[in-house]
Amino acid sequence: MTGRVIVITSGKGGVGKTTTSANIGTALAKNGAGVVLIDTDIGLRNLDLLLGLENRIVYTLVDVVEERCKLKQALVKDKKNPNLCLLAAAQTRDKSAVTAEQLKAICEELQEEYDYILVDCPAGIEQGFQTAIAGASEAIVVTTPEMSAVRDADRIIGLLEAKEEIKSYKLLINRVRPSMIKANDMMSVDDVVDILSCNLIGIIPEDTGIITSTNKGEPIVNDEKSLAGQAYNNVARRISGEEVPFLDIDEPKGFDALVAKVKKLFGIKG
Amino acid sequence: MENNSQDFYLIDLSYALSPADIVFELSTILEQEMAHNQKVYLKLGNVDLNQSQLLSIKSLINSINSTLNALSSESKQTELAAATIGLNVSVKEKEEEPSAQYIPMTEHLEKTVSAEMADSGFEFEVNAEKETQEIQETETVEEKENNIGNKALNTVSADEQQEPVPSLEKTAAENEGKEEVLGLDKESAGIEETETQNNDNSDNFENSDNIDSLDEKIECKQESVNIPPLENEEIQAQLDSIFNSETKLENILAEQENYPFVQEAVDIEIPEEEELTEEDYQILTMPTKYVKQTIRSGQVIKFDGNIIVIGDCHPGSELHAAGDITVWGTLGGIAHAGCEGNRRARIRALQLNAIQLRIGEFYARRPDALNVAYIDKTNSVTPEEARIINDNIVILKLTD
Repeated sequence: MTGRVIVITSGKGGVGKTTTSANIGTALAKNGAGVVLIDTDIGLRNLDLLLGLENRIVYTLVDVVEERCKLKQALVKDKKNPNLCLLAAAQTRDKSAVTAEQLKAICEELQEEYDYILVDCPAGIEQGFQTAIAGASEAIVVTTPEMSAVRDADRIIGLLEAKEEIKSYKLLINRVRPSMIKANDMMSVDDVVDILSCNLIGIIPEDTGIITSTNKGEPIVNDEKSLAGQAYNNVARRISGEEVPFLDIDEPKGFDALVAKVKKLFGIKG
Repeated sequence: MENNSQDFYLIDLSYALSPADIVFELSTILEQEMAHNQKVYLKLGNVDLNQSQLLSIKSLINSINSTLNALSSESKQTELAAATIGLNVSVKEKEEEPSAQYIPMTEHLEKTVSAEMADSGFEFEVNAEKETQEIQETETVEEKENNIGNKALNTVSADEQQEPVPSLEKTAAENEGKEEVLGLDKESAGIEETETQNNDNSDNFENSDNIDSLDEKIECKQESVNIPPLENEEIQAQLDSIFNSETKLENILAEQENYPFVQEAVDIEIPEEEELTEEDYQILTMPTKYVKQTIRSGQVIKFDGNIIVIGDCHPGSELHAAGDITVWGTLGGIAHAGCEGNRRARIRALQLNAIQLRIGEFYARRPDALNVAYIDKTNSVTPEEARIINDNIVILKLTD
């Protein structure tokens, strides 16, 4: 078996790389695939927190690289889903602790046993980024509908294109607020796709539930009611090859949506 | 307006004067639970509706799993439109079925609301009764529960006051967290974190006596409050559901057994004063590093001796000492005492919230159920000490 190594990157910080990694990983594992999440943000790790595995980490990526433990020992199994493993970053070191070749070797070793290896990339385009993309053959570029994030994503896509090993890259637009797009205060999804001319893999609506889920250490895909959770679930299904239509985040769902439509038809405002 | 006739769920909108009125009223009615999964019989007044409007009403009704089975209208155009889209247009006699009683919408709402109010009010009274009685009669139980250190009991929620069962579950959940141990290929198989509080009250799991006695008390109360028989049954049902939560506890425990990381709980006897061993003397003669600062995430203090920190250790920080670790503040990160292999080393802190505790080659981790803030800066502290007893890491309170 050869697993797919997918790097999740963005260039700009704070656009939701780690949240995306945690949620896509959890969703893929929920659908039965074997998944390893690798946190390469050495010194500023957060992925363990989002998965609620902080207290279980004994060995980290750096320990594996420096041969203080075997790779298997450093994989922390998820609390709920035995298909999901985390290879945490060391908090007490920095990006120079792991080289691109070392991470590539780790990815190759994991590829033999797992279906998906998701690499959570640090912000920036320096050594940490170069290390993170070393083992990957696919990439997901996370951005938000803001000019600064889009420009950074553009730069990242340029760097990814220059890398021969990266066979495909897809765009994920995070924190979309339909109401702001309607009011012309935010770039629309189409605008972002036009600027970056890149295939879309998902649109994630802004959801306050993300903050709660981060604090709880429980990925939002486990909450079936959440719109962002559904969107992440769809992304995971698209990654595994399914054709899933994009979630309609513009309109309220279900009964409310119908009432709104009917009211519109009858000419009632509000 | 709405009413249940024998077969149909009658929605009477004959008072609505415009299409907009109809949709507004209809959507309000359909939002209620009772309108779901019904065969709807819609009665309309003299309002002209076209086909598309009728279709959208139909789909609105379909969206809540109900079907629009029949329709009647005073308007010829509406009836015609309904007939063309294949709806049953009911004859006049059907409208005047005796079973169909029309209650104005507002009145109906008032009724339900007042019924609900009465319900809750009733419950509230009973609860109040129970609370006072509970406080007087079950002081012993409460004391016991307080001893367990259950935070849940501060709430005055009736359920929790009635039964110790919810708190039991809580303890179980906490224990679940504590009993889980990472299945790493470490030499130390017997890693365990057990709090003495829980040890002391390990009979908490078997306090069926408490439940029984409470059961009796609740029955007494029911007599004294003079509840009508029907509500009595309701309460009994509620009680049953609460008592049945014991099975939930069993489920939790069963799940735990299937869990790969889980290790069975060990009852640990805390030994009396022990004689000092050679390892203890080693620690006593070690040099001590004295750190007076906040240890932040990512910072590591390593010392071949004892470490004393005056300040907090934030999550993500690490302390490694060959001897003891003492934190005059909150310990929130990882602490490894006796990192050269000394099993007699101890970790003590004013507030012990460590993510992981390691002593010698043993390690214990914070229970998952324990959801503390990033770093707890409360004024109330419980000085605690962790050490190894019978190959288990045990946390003891230092207040006694």
